[in-house]
Amino acid sequence: MKYMNLTIDQLHDLLVNKEVTPLDLAKEAIELAKKDTNNAFEYIMEKEALEIASKLTEPEIDNPLWGIPFAIKDNISTKDVPTTASSNILNGYVPLFNATVVEKLLNKHAVPIGKTTLDELAMGGTGTSGHLGMTYNPYDETHTRLAGGSSCGSAAATSAPIVPFALGSDTGDSIRKPASFVGLVGLKPTWSRISRYGLFPFAPSLDTVGFFTRSVKDCAYLLNVTSGRDENDSTSSTKPVDDYVSLINKPVKGLKIATIRQINNAIKDEEVLKAFNNTIEQLKKEGVIVDEIDLDLNMLASIFPTYFVISCSEATSNNANLDGIKFGPYCEGNTYQEVMFNARTKGFSELIKRRFVFGSYALMRENQQELFLRAQKNRRKIVNAINEILSQYDFIYTIAAPSVAPKKDESSDRLNEEYLIADNHLALGNFAGLPSITIPIGLKNKLPFGANVMARAFEEAKLFQISEKIEQITGLKNLNAKEVK
Amino acid sequence: MNFEAVIGLEIHVELKTKTKMFSSAPVAFGKEPNSCCMPLDLGFPGTLPTVNKEAVIYGIRVANALHMDIDHELHFDRKNYFYSDLPKGYQITQNLRPIGSNGYVDLNTSNGIKRIEIERIHLEEDTCMQHHFRDYTLLDYNRAGVPLIEIVSRPNIRTGEEAQKYVEKIRSIVVFSDVSDGKMEEGSLRCDVNISLRPYGSDKFGTKVEIKNLNSTKFIQQAIDFEIERQSKLLLQNQTIRQETRRYDEAKRETILMRVKTDAVDYKYFPEPNITPIVLSDEFVNDAIKNCPELADSKINRYINEYSLSEYDASLLVNEKSVSEFFDEAAKLTKSYKLLANWINVDIASVLNKRNISINELNITPKSLVALISLIDSKEISNNQARDIFNKMIETGKDPLTIKNELGITSQISDESAIMELINETLNEFPQSIIDFKEGKSRALGFLVGQIMKKSHGKVNPKITSDLLLKELKER
Repeated sequence: MKYMNLTIDQLHDLLVNKEVTPLDLAKEAIELAKKDTNNAFEYIMEKEALEIASKLTEPEIDNPLWGIPFAIKDNISTKDVPTTASSNILNGYVPLFNATVVEKLLNKHAVPIGKTTLDELAMGGTGTSGHLGMTYNPYDETHTRLAGGSSCGSAAATSAPIVPFALGSDTGDSIRKPASFVGLVGLKPTWSRISRYGLFPFAPSLDTVGFFTRSVKDCAYLLNVTSGRDENDSTSSTKPVDDYVSLINKPVKGLKIATIRQINNAIKDEEVLKAFNNTIEQLKKEGVIVDEIDLDLNMLASIFPTYFVISCSEATSNNANLDGIKFGPYCEGNTYQEVMFNARTKGFSELIKRRFVFGSYALMRENQQELFLRAQKNRRKIVNAINEILSQYDFIYTIAAPSVAPKKDESSDRLNEEYLIADNHLALGNFAGLPSITIPIGLKNKLPFGANVMARAFEEAKLFQISEKIEQITGLKNLNAKEVK
Repeated sequence: MNFEAVIGLEIHVELKTKTKMFSSAPVAFGKEPNSCCMPLDLGFPGTLPTVNKEAVIYGIRVANALHMDIDHELHFDRKNYFYSDLPKGYQITQNLRPIGSNGYVDLNTSNGIKRIEIERIHLEEDTCMQHHFRDYTLLDYNRAGVPLIEIVSRPNIRTGEEAQKYVEKIRSIVVFSDVSDGKMEEGSLRCDVNISLRPYGSDKFGTKVEIKNLNSTKFIQQAIDFEIERQSKLLLQNQTIRQETRRYDEAKRETILMRVKTDAVDYKYFPEPNITPIVLSDEFVNDAIKNCPELADSKINRYINEYSLSEYDASLLVNEKSVSEFFDEAAKLTKSYKLLANWINVDIASVLNKRNISINELNITPKSLVALISLIDSKEISNNQARDIFNKMIETGKDPLTIKNELGITSQISDESAIMELINETLNEFPQSIIDFKEGKSRALGFLVGQIMKKSHGKVNPKITSDLLLKELKER
């Protein structure tokens, strides 16, 4: 490996100085993708990538993405390239159009080299439920630890490292949790900041397109070019896009951070806590004001059930087009109901079916009040509480996950406090549509872990500012599995 | 009859917007199947709906015409069900907050004015067209996503006649406000009827039967009248009415069972997450209303008040939008409104009926009809001559003056002093005829008129001539 362990920033300098060509980079990334042992890829876009890269001959000095290889989560539409969402029911589906985010990156002459695995239809947090099986954490050569999900393949590909960045999607914590497990920067921007056109819907009121990078600044580059109004997504924001890169080094003195006592208390891993507290001490030295504040424990414990009801309800409807008639393998049947029943029985895994049944149940007339509407009401309450905190603080700063990446068979008790709160609080960012970023803050037995910062809606510039500072404090810029090993 | 019928109507109207409700695919009929659709219409994963502004404007127009409260915030919901003609597996519609609510229309029925209350109208999208064959079905996505408004009446319709009048009224409103073709036979206006019976005086509802596939207002009336009789008979025989869906067989003139309904389907409505609520400014709503073309009722009033037409004539003119537009155009060019209305309502209407065409397909323009009417008005031609010219106009499309010349119809002499001169000349030539007339020989009058005609080469106006001659004979 010569180049793929570098950041976008570093690669750009080499490209501009013509020390390397986009074609060299694409070839290396494809070679690495072919040799990947972590089950990160659904499809390698060899032909497409080489074709695009070979046309890039004149470096664009002002365009840091020119000639940079990247990977795309396989629930993001790519024209003429199979897009399966790691589900058997979409085997062989080839979209007619590019997702807006893909189109924007192509317009900037970034070079897509492959589609990455995910939990089936992006529903799941383990990276084990896709139709190709488990995606492994590149930091664990024994292939026992999770990369986290649902954006497992993009996380693994960026941290391996195979590409300097990858696209993901985040509905509960699908970028930010795996980012913690594989030592990456993972951004979920404000809901509506990046167009969702072309992203397979899981739960549209929570869904966000985002990315994995190995530095905060790389993340800022990407947001610069992927944000903005899109006529194909009427929910996309018309707010002007900041130049996030130029604002990244603004001084952090006087910025205010809230940490939440009940979330901190739910973390049982002392080493993780220590590293987290260390970043806080260092931030204080930089003049950042940090307060530990209280949030109602019951409210925090309600995040998971609330998320589950809302996301499953929306998901059951969003995936109703996959019925074996319009999409998916055709199955014989005497009536249209039978055809659909057979296709969906065959096409979805048990886990997905369980979620659909649950979502359907929550939406049924007799249950809606008690489940769906109650969850919506609770979401509103939680959002109010979060926004109340953010009216006094610039950020909410938390540990991203209870600990390092768990082993596949480490079962968690889904009703204990550690699981309910420490493992699910990142969904707060989706409930409120707030920008939220995970950054690595430490390693434990050569396994990375991260912290998360959440800011007010559309204040990504500030989010990058504080994250850049944390990255400087930890020195964990451009962390990758190869070099830690 | 012992029972009161409780009837509610659901009408779906296809809007004639340029593009679909939520995608930029064109709305077009009669095109090659599956040639007018975008990925969204096909339910492709990752596609997103964008609300069609024109459809919203049309919705507001209709809501206003139906005297409804107009919601100034647009909200959409999902209606979830599995069906082969439903691309996305759900339909985007308005459930909790329809664009219009609590309206009414007044109908002229044989029992006087009847007010029908309307619960709601909402915007939604159409499904695929299904073409069923013996062992397969084809889907045409051209219709998928075509904007619809659904108009839901309250169940205060009581007779087949009221239902028919109601649908005619709705049709007139959507056609005159230019939001739809309103063609029942082509499916751009579709009507489902819910009907139940109950004993007079009861405030409970009986079991509801739904009638579908009604493709003319006449059939609506017939189907309801049949259904009232059918249900009455069953009830009188102490049988229960089943909750079922029936269709109307036009040939047999009866309703026929399609399926027995079980529990109502649970559509699991929830707010559409891909469309955030859209605030409609007062200006937007007011503009939508202000720019609505004139409706039939307003035209009738105008024809009566400004043109002194009878209510009967005025109503006939607005039966078809194109006819009323023809009249409006012509009325700008003449003041003989009554004559104009007669020609359109009688002569033109009979041609349209005979040939089953619309007035726009006719060889006659408002301008050429007015030209004909001017000839009649100035007494240059007689009514019989006018009819001859009219027939030629229809055949050839030529203007009336050209035809008049071609037919050799010369202008009539209507000037009274000129005619008097001829009369005196003739009477001096035929004194015997004066005597004959005085003796009561009626032939004499005809003879004299004939002589005058001959003298004038047939140019004198016969009516004026015989009037003046009679007067002169009496004086002599």
